[in-house]
Amino acid sequence: MANLGTFILLITFVVASYAVAASVAGARRRSARLIESGTGAFYLVTALMTVASALIVHAFATNDYSIKYVQRYSDAAQPLFYKLTSYWGGLDGSIMFWVFLLAVFGSIAVYVNRDRHRELIPYVVATISIVQMFFIFLMVIHNNPFETFLADAPRDGRGLSPLLQNFYMAIHPPSLYVGFVGMTIPFAFGIAALATGHLDDSWLRAVRRWTMMAWLFLSFGLTLGMLWAYEELGWGGYWMWDPVENAGLLPWFTATAFLHSVMVQERRGMLRVWNVALVIVTFFLTIFGTFMTRSGIVQSVHAFGEDRELAWMFTIFMICLLTISFGLVIWRLPLLRARNELDSWVSREAAFLVNNWILLFCAFFVLFATMFPTLSEAVTGERLTIAAPFFNKWMAPIGLILLFLTGVGPLLAWRKSTLINLQNQFLFPVSCGLVAGAAVVALGVRIWSSGLCFALSGFVFGTITQEFWRGARVRQGATGSDIVTALIGLVARSHRRYGGYIVHVGIVLIFLGFAGESFKKEEQAILKPGEQVAIDRFVVRHEAIRVTDDGQKQMVTADVTVLSDGRVLGRMHPAKWFFRKHEEEPTTEVAIRRSFSEDLYLTLAGYEMQAQAATYKVTINPLVNWIWAGFGVLAVGTLIALMPESAFAFAAARVPAGAVTTALFLLMLFTPARVVAQEHVEDPQTVVVVPRTPLEKDMQRELVCICPTCGKKNIAECTCPVAGRMRSELAEQVKLGKGRDDIRAWFVGRYGSQEPLGAPLDRGFNRLAWVFPYLVGGASLLGVGIVVSRWKKKEGDASRAAGDSAEAAMQAPESRSDALNARLDDELRDLE
Amino acid sequence: MAPRAFAKIGLTAIVIVGALCALMYATLREGTEYYKHVEEVMAQPDAWYGKRLQLHGFVVKDSILKRRDSLDYQFKIESEGAVVGARYSGIVPDTFKSGSEVVLKGRLSPDGFAVEPDGVMAKCPSKYEPKAGG
Repeated sequence: MANLGTFILLITFVVASYAVAASVAGARRRSARLIESGTGAFYLVTALMTVASALIVHAFATNDYSIKYVQRYSDAAQPLFYKLTSYWGGLDGSIMFWVFLLAVFGSIAVYVNRDRHRELIPYVVATISIVQMFFIFLMVIHNNPFETFLADAPRDGRGLSPLLQNFYMAIHPPSLYVGFVGMTIPFAFGIAALATGHLDDSWLRAVRRWTMMAWLFLSFGLTLGMLWAYEELGWGGYWMWDPVENAGLLPWFTATAFLHSVMVQERRGMLRVWNVALVIVTFFLTIFGTFMTRSGIVQSVHAFGEDRELAWMFTIFMICLLTISFGLVIWRLPLLRARNELDSWVSREAAFLVNNWILLFCAFFVLFATMFPTLSEAVTGERLTIAAPFFNKWMAPIGLILLFLTGVGPLLAWRKSTLINLQNQFLFPVSCGLVAGAAVVALGVRIWSSGLCFALSGFVFGTITQEFWRGARVRQGATGSDIVTALIGLVARSHRRYGGYIVHVGIVLIFLGFAGESFKKEEQAILKPGEQVAIDRFVVRHEAIRVTDDGQKQMVTADVTVLSDGRVLGRMHPAKWFFRKHEEEPTTEVAIRRSFSEDLYLTLAGYEMQAQAATYKVTINPLVNWIWAGFGVLAVGTLIALMPESAFAFAAARVPAGAVTTALFLLMLFTPARVVAQEHVEDPQTVVVVPRTPLEKDMQRELVCICPTCGKKNIAECTCPVAGRMRSELAEQVKLGKGRDDIRAWFVGRYGSQEPLGAPLDRGFNRLAWVFPYLVGGASLLGVGIVVSRWKKKEGDASRAAGDSAEAAMQAPESRSDALNARLDDELRDLE
Repeated sequence: MAPRAFAKIGLTAIVIVGALCALMYATLREGTEYYKHVEEVMAQPDAWYGKRLQLHGFVVKDSILKRRDSLDYQFKIESEGAVVGARYSGIVPDTFKSGSEVVLKGRLSPDGFAVEPDGVMAKCPSKYEPKAGG
């Protein structure tokens, strides 16, 4: 098996190099057959990587410990779900997973654009293949995941680190990788455009959606990382400017900048060099981030080990990358002349330009500060470290400026805003901001950064509300429908623009969450049974400590009562878990009492069994849940911006639909983003259901808690009453002497869906289980492919239609009436 | 582009970049800490008094003292033979034990190393990578 894997990697390398050679040669000689053959080889790489991935996943699923990588990152006791996710748990596998994703994405991008951007395709294929070759080279030479033990193989694996055996950690890396890999596609198209000289805006159109999608995944990955840090590491925060976190943030900044500046190029034909440069820099930063975390060049809590040789390979690759890319840019400078000049600094393009500079500054500041310890050691020989306060000191004001621009940008007109224009546009948002600011001061907030953040959030909300309101009014006037239908029609008509505004709403919510951080409170206390500590409006009383064991780990659980104003709010159960084989690194199981305004966050820091005493760290985290909710809104906004026109066809129809249906649609749209009210309540009685039979124990790990807030913990681990109920139901079923499949069926029937079955099914399915992810992945890719190709067709029609209507509007008799002007403006904006 | 406009833009850019650099330099001074091993510091301790340090060493075997019913710790850390006493008050990480590798944040004074709140970072041998040889 392992030999086959290594062999496949070698073959893939050869095939990829053929893809490069054939497509470049084909493009130069204008030989369609060569190009086609190169593209075919490119698809073949994807197929081969899929087989290689299947092999390693199979090895994990069947506990093949003769492969070193499998032995290091899994063991027999691990649930099947985590065995599968161990694929990307370590360095070697994560590189392979990277190549696999890149191959898949590249193939889709090439397939979708094969007719539309025929002239670019050979160079796109070549560029992506070269990146693939680099990573395959790394694997074959240095980090082969298929490496085997030469002598006899160990019986059991060492197991994935318990910290990574967490639902968020299982999906966080893939999401980040998809984001990173997605950024390769715009880069490849950019390079192809530079190489061929087809530098009109068509390559931008090809990559716009890709960038947006990659950006969404990147945001998702970052949010999951924060959630993981918050819930699993137990230090009370979610972001500490660790180099690995920063690595994910760097391309996020530049990609955000690109998504904004691309609009300026489309509208005004400016910033063309800038856009190409941003695409290159974004891609470079994804590679640099990988380099930073894989080579041990910076010290970090969760970097992979140090590795000089790897560092050199990466350095050489990055130098080549920068030289070639920017060499191409310089060579093509004459073709990249701007078609327009900046007319005025009081214009939307100027606001975007400033926004771009600031985002770029963010990226380079974070890069500089992250690399500073390494740089200072190289230059002076002294290792100076930079702590989180330094980052915060800089990033807080910069963030506020960005927030301010978020509100300003949409209010300014393209080209030039007149004074009357400004008065008209700014009146409402500025008064919103002032009201918010005044309210905050009146409530007694004395921290300038947070106070300003609240005021600015008010301003941005004002801006967005005004944009939606005015747009809807104009549309209402034009179509004669009710306001809700008009609003939907508006979003449908220019969904990129209004989707973007919804993203801004999400960003504002996230900023509010960050602002809450300043009001964090923290207490540490040693408590004997019955003693209590007061924090904010809560009183935390220690009751007892218990030790239980479930076969995979020993659990030390504390029993805590939370009171407020003398009233008992509930029980909480912070714990420490000692996993077998990882006794040296116990995991901290945080107990969180979530609510809209703040989280009560409780960690068990230490304990004394004899005295039943426990050391607690109690933290009040105000507004953190707004960050997660903000991401929900952001995702909805991005999806709206990504959606094809046809998805909105029904809403854009002129027939004024009933207000009820439209309202329902709106509700549906915002449901995913609704703040989940606290349902996951820690409860003492629930922890003690000890499984009596192996079947019950097994099933406890297989079934997941169905309450919406505990992140699909399995019911053996989850401490909320819902899980408790499910556990006792399970115990009952086992007592009745039912078998595994019967119990499964019973649960599916009881809860009306497959929701309680969390992990992929095991045992009888074991052979098939490893195919499962591929089937799902394949089906979804197919779906994505079909949708994307349909977009392509629709896009052409839509832009033609929009062109016609704009022309018609132009020919309309000149009128000074404001309403018509506004409508005209609206129609023109739709061209965006 | 007219030379005048060019000069204007150039000047603005220089002023902005200069101001940023000055700010950065100023804040870097207070934001940074020296990262040192015990023996580097103890070779000439008085040179380091009062400076913010991150001190890297190993906890001396059986040197951890904890006051009953409190979170006050006293312990010694050493590396390459040099030893320094340290005081800390607060919660320590799980991996803080006799013999474990730690990085302490704080300031050195003639009567030992005063660790600032949350300043004990135990370098666990791994988060992603398993223990060497284990």
